[in-house]
Amino acid sequence: MKGASIVKRVLEEGRKKLYEDEALNLLRAYGLPVPAAGLAKSEDEALRIAGEVGYPVVLKIVSPDIIHKSDVGGVILGLEDPGSVREAYRRIIRSVGEKAPNARVVGVLVQHMVPQGLEVIIGATRDPVFDSVVMFGLGGVFVEVLRDVSFRVTPLTRSEALAMTREIKAHRLLEGYRNTPPRDREALAKIILGVAEIMDNVKEIREIDLNPVMSYTEGAVIADARILVAGRE
Amino acid sequence: MNRSIDERVEQLRVFFKPRSIAVIGASSKPMKIGNVIVKQLKKRYSGKLYPVNPRHEEIEGLKCYPTILDVPGDVDLAVISLRADLVPGVVKQSIEKGVKGIIIVSGGFSEIGPEGARLEMQIRDMISRSEVRVIGPNGLGVLDLYTGVDTFFLPEERMKRPPKGRIALISQSGALSAAITDWAAAEGIGISRAVSYGNKIDVDDVDLLYYFAEDEETRVIAMYVEGLKPGRGKEFIEAARYVARKKPIVLLKGGKTARGAVAAASHTAALAGSYEVFRSALRQAGIIEAESIEDLFDLARALSMQPPAKGRRAAVITNAGGPAVMATDALERHGLEIPILSDETQKKLREKFPPYYVTKNPVDLTGDGSSEDYRHALETVLTSGEIDVLLVIALVQTPKLNVDVADLIVEKARRHGIPTVAMSFGGELTRKLEARLEENGIPVYETSERAVRALWSLVEYGEIKRRLGGD
Repeated sequence: MKGASIVKRVLEEGRKKLYEDEALNLLRAYGLPVPAAGLAKSEDEALRIAGEVGYPVVLKIVSPDIIHKSDVGGVILGLEDPGSVREAYRRIIRSVGEKAPNARVVGVLVQHMVPQGLEVIIGATRDPVFDSVVMFGLGGVFVEVLRDVSFRVTPLTRSEALAMTREIKAHRLLEGYRNTPPRDREALAKIILGVAEIMDNVKEIREIDLNPVMSYTEGAVIADARILVAGRE
Repeated sequence: MNRSIDERVEQLRVFFKPRSIAVIGASSKPMKIGNVIVKQLKKRYSGKLYPVNPRHEEIEGLKCYPTILDVPGDVDLAVISLRADLVPGVVKQSIEKGVKGIIIVSGGFSEIGPEGARLEMQIRDMISRSEVRVIGPNGLGVLDLYTGVDTFFLPEERMKRPPKGRIALISQSGALSAAITDWAAAEGIGISRAVSYGNKIDVDDVDLLYYFAEDEETRVIAMYVEGLKPGRGKEFIEAARYVARKKPIVLLKGGKTARGAVAAASHTAALAGSYEVFRSALRQAGIIEAESIEDLFDLARALSMQPPAKGRRAAVITNAGGPAVMATDALERHGLEIPILSDETQKKLREKFPPYYVTKNPVDLTGDGSSEDYRHALETVLTSGEIDVLLVIALVQTPKLNVDVADLIVEKARRHGIPTVAMSFGGELTRKLEARLEENGIPVYETSERAVRALWSLVEYGEIKRRLGGD
């Protein structure tokens, strides 16, 4: 089963959360669009990976003990050249050392920075009655303040996944609004279906949060992923 | 648990069409549960009836047996009304006797705590090792208006029984089942069969949906559900999708408030309140959601009388301005279209109408509208090919409109096959109009809002059938 070995390792290590690189690899294994990325354990490795994934890049701290990476200065965006990657790497390690001195640091994820698009959230969770459920919403205030989201119980069809993108109140933003172009709903539906497939295949996964997913006129890319497993305490 | 649909339907038949019933815990004391059940069964149930109670020779004129094992001949259905701690023992005897179904109306099980849960577990163990099916405990059981099976242990002076009808009721709440039944009787709303399954240790929503899908007397399934059992949601959706192809399901959910804020690490978990997920599940399942008890039966009535709609275009024919305006608002809110009728259709309407009648849509015949005017409007609008559903507003306080307009509405709607509901409001004459319409399959509502909800449910069910591929 795709993804089973990653999840097995996470459970064996007693973790509840996949590392960023593991999450991206799992999504990639299911054919979902994720940016090129690699885990760096040193400055030099970070530079090498940055060259491979292509500039601009983003650096993110990878630690089993840190849930909100930005709060500890663990994320730096928009790095255009090797010099700034080297400097950012040092800055992240220093900041995390100060703000979360007890956190174990596995490394730093070096990820190709995807272009800005309309930010959407695609997620999944397990409901006590219906088990796996997928969610769709627009990023930022739409989800956090307005709770403007749509749900489906898995498994679902392509037309149901498309219907999820039409059901939210702010759906007109996806259709093109004023100067903004219409978004590729098919690409979003594909990600929704992929997430549903992962939930149905890998029962140990408790939650998936793809936030944000950048939605474009053509295609979509997952810019950040958080995957939790039902780990033992 | 992995029974086929046919098997489930076959197994559940015993609860509605048993050839013989034993009432264990039958009593001769008036108002006692064990007495009410025997009395009620005696009234309408025509199969063999055996009271069981070791302390009596005879109950309500029927020979009484010490245990179910002493009953001569077969017993199809055992109804148990005894103290909870005595129930496992008689369940065992009933299984030994070879009954096919058991209804346990007694309370005192998992709903009261660990001691009751232990008793429930004992029963569960016994039935899992046999073919017997169980409804209950802690519910009212079954009320079948066709066969007279009646374990709703409330005396008829307290809870009237509704007339035979086409709506099946499945309810998680016993008290609510009783109240609904009594209310339906007073409103003259017909019921086919009602089930209050209580703690549902065996027979549950899924079983009953499959059964009512095949039940000839049932046209619509109305449900009151507070929650489904953990892990059973996907099976429920699958069953409902299967059933909704054949018959409409209308559901009222109790307990809608979001569960307390959960300390969740992700947006999705924090947002996935149980009601939000439940609503999506209903949509996926092809179930129409009602907003209140009144709404549940408003929609169920429409769906039991009228066919599903082929599209979303609505027309309104009225002799009253205000109700038509409110209907238009409500139609918009429910996402139905109110197309302006074509020039050709409007021209046809105007041929027989004075110039001050409005022919766009709503078609407003004003306070001058006569039955003849309704005839012309109905014929023209229903044959226009421009609409899919019709709302007829007919207030009979005006001197020109007679109650015989009911016959026109019935005849035209039937002939042209367009789903139609009516709105009327008033006193004695209105009652006559209502009765004449309802007897002939046109549901009538007292407000525009309620009539539009009913119309919407016909549109919704049409879409559900097209989506799920109905027959």
